[in-house]
Amino acid sequence: MRKVIGAAAIVMIAFLYVPIVAVIAYSFNASPVSYRWDGLTLDWYAELFQDEPLLATLRTSLLLGLVAGFIATVIGFLSAYALHRFPIRGKGVLLAAVAIPLVIPEIVIGVALLRTFSTVGMQNGLLTLVLGHIVIALPMATFVLLGAMRSLDPSVHEAAADLGAGVLGTFWRVTLPILRPALLAAFLLSFTTSFSNIVISTFTAGVGTTTLPIRIYSSVRTGLTPELNALGSLMVVLTLVVILVVGVGQMRRILAGSAP
Amino acid sequence: MSTVPAVALRGVTKRFGASVAVEPTDLDVADGEFFSILGPSGCGKTTIMRMIAGFESPTAGTISLDGRDVVGVPTRKRDLNMLFQSYALFPHLSVEDNVAFELRTLRVPRAELRDRVAAALDLVQLGEFRGRKPQELSGGQRQRVALARAVVGRPKVVLLDEPLGALDQRLRKDMQFELKRMQRELGITFIYVTHDQEEALTMSDRIAVMSRGRVLQVGSPTEIYDEPANRFVASFIGTCNLLDASAADGVARVEGVGVVPASPDTDGAVVVAVRPERIRLLPADAAQGIPGRVVEHAFLGDHWLAKVVVGAAVAPVQVQVPASVGADLLRGLEDGAEVRIDWSPADARVLPAEVAASAAQTQEVAA
Repeated sequence: MRKVIGAAAIVMIAFLYVPIVAVIAYSFNASPVSYRWDGLTLDWYAELFQDEPLLATLRTSLLLGLVAGFIATVIGFLSAYALHRFPIRGKGVLLAAVAIPLVIPEIVIGVALLRTFSTVGMQNGLLTLVLGHIVIALPMATFVLLGAMRSLDPSVHEAAADLGAGVLGTFWRVTLPILRPALLAAFLLSFTTSFSNIVISTFTAGVGTTTLPIRIYSSVRTGLTPELNALGSLMVVLTLVVILVVGVGQMRRILAGSAP
Repeated sequence: MSTVPAVALRGVTKRFGASVAVEPTDLDVADGEFFSILGPSGCGKTTIMRMIAGFESPTAGTISLDGRDVVGVPTRKRDLNMLFQSYALFPHLSVEDNVAFELRTLRVPRAELRDRVAAALDLVQLGEFRGRKPQELSGGQRQRVALARAVVGRPKVVLLDEPLGALDQRLRKDMQFELKRMQRELGITFIYVTHDQEEALTMSDRIAVMSRGRVLQVGSPTEIYDEPANRFVASFIGTCNLLDASAADGVARVEGVGVVPASPDTDGAVVVAVRPERIRLLPADAAQGIPGRVVEHAFLGDHWLAKVVVGAAVAPVQVQVPASVGADLLRGLEDGAEVRIDWSPADARVLPAEVAASAAQTQEVAA
């Protein structure tokens, strides 16, 4: 029995990681087709950095992820703080309202956003993209932060008041620093949600604001180019760097959604 | 010591909606005193403390700190600090920064801040841990950090909310004496809230015993123990035998037993309270004492405990006999043996019976 479970675990892990390893391997494959190995090359990386249209979509996606992630984190923090600290009437309803974008199919949200933007006469562009991405990132940011706040000892705030700190002092010197890892987690989650999103972007991107996922997805029709393997490899490395910088322990707490 | 009480409560009442947490209460805590508020959970002791701290405001009445009325004054402007049950240390700050928190709020100059923090950490013997985070400390060490943080600003009063609750038995005993020592060294008024009568007896100069939102008795540990004001106090502090009796002409009679040693000064229904260690166990052929039958007995190291049924329908009387004295009589004793028990009238307290009924109920609720 133990052997079977062990074997199943190995298969699962292989299933998770083989495609990622393959992408990295093919990014160095001199042959443009994936069924043949013609030796090592860095050509695809060179090609990637000369592909100005692709790099433009990467810049759009990064900017979009940073802005939408930042705003979602700020709004999420404020909502979570209010829901946690103050006795608000209809708290359950508000929480459900925050959670709704998580369960509504993205395609529905996308259509709804497009309809709304066109009704008020907004041109699709960076602004509509940012707004759309905030909608889908906000629930995650809010719940990560709410979880962190709930796992905090409530007497910590009383202790700060007892030790002479006012409302603002307590916030800056106690609440915010304690929640810093959770804020980072909320931001990273929001950023990733935005960066990898394709459905909402399809409805809210305008001319000149194509995002990287849309660009990659549309290139499937013309065939995946090896330079995309190079791009994928760089992203994997970047992600690993972020995890190492943030710290593995911190990452585990982030994913468990609790405070330090 | 000044004559102005460090903390004075006058008619302080707290209601949460329809329920009364604290009945109108008067209380004076003297300057430099180690004062305990003792009672079962839900008796209102924590509410009183939180009102003194300023986390709750009284529904009625006044609270003064050092003669100054503080109702409406926010916590941070009250010259007191609190030691929380959960310690409430700041997890993102080192031990040193936790202790320095209040001094930074007060913008104490750097050199003075450093000295005072070091002195506070020395007091709790945690100097070498100054750079650690709270998560890296044991429960007992966290407790000490919290204490250092509470006294570093030299407050008038320190409020302690069952601070030893989370510690294991052994550490708790050590900390009891340590807290008392620090309180004496610092000369700060300590108000200590607990449900543990032993803690309260060990450390306090005076104790207020509370039940169901009411302070039943205030007194020194010996007063509380030897002269309980009513049935609740008698049974909540230590073990006490309570015999329902009727008093007339200066003697107390227990139904089915007869006259027991006591000197009632009133007539009518009373409760005779006598501590197990005040009762003597005598052989069945002794000339005096109340005849009874041993239903259970046990050797507990330094003493023997025997449960003796006297009369017809009374709960067994607990008798505690020092091992050195009880050896001869109890060693060969079998359960069911006939004995006599006796005590001196001076060791029996005669308590009013009315309070007894409601207090007994309180105790059941608390249990």
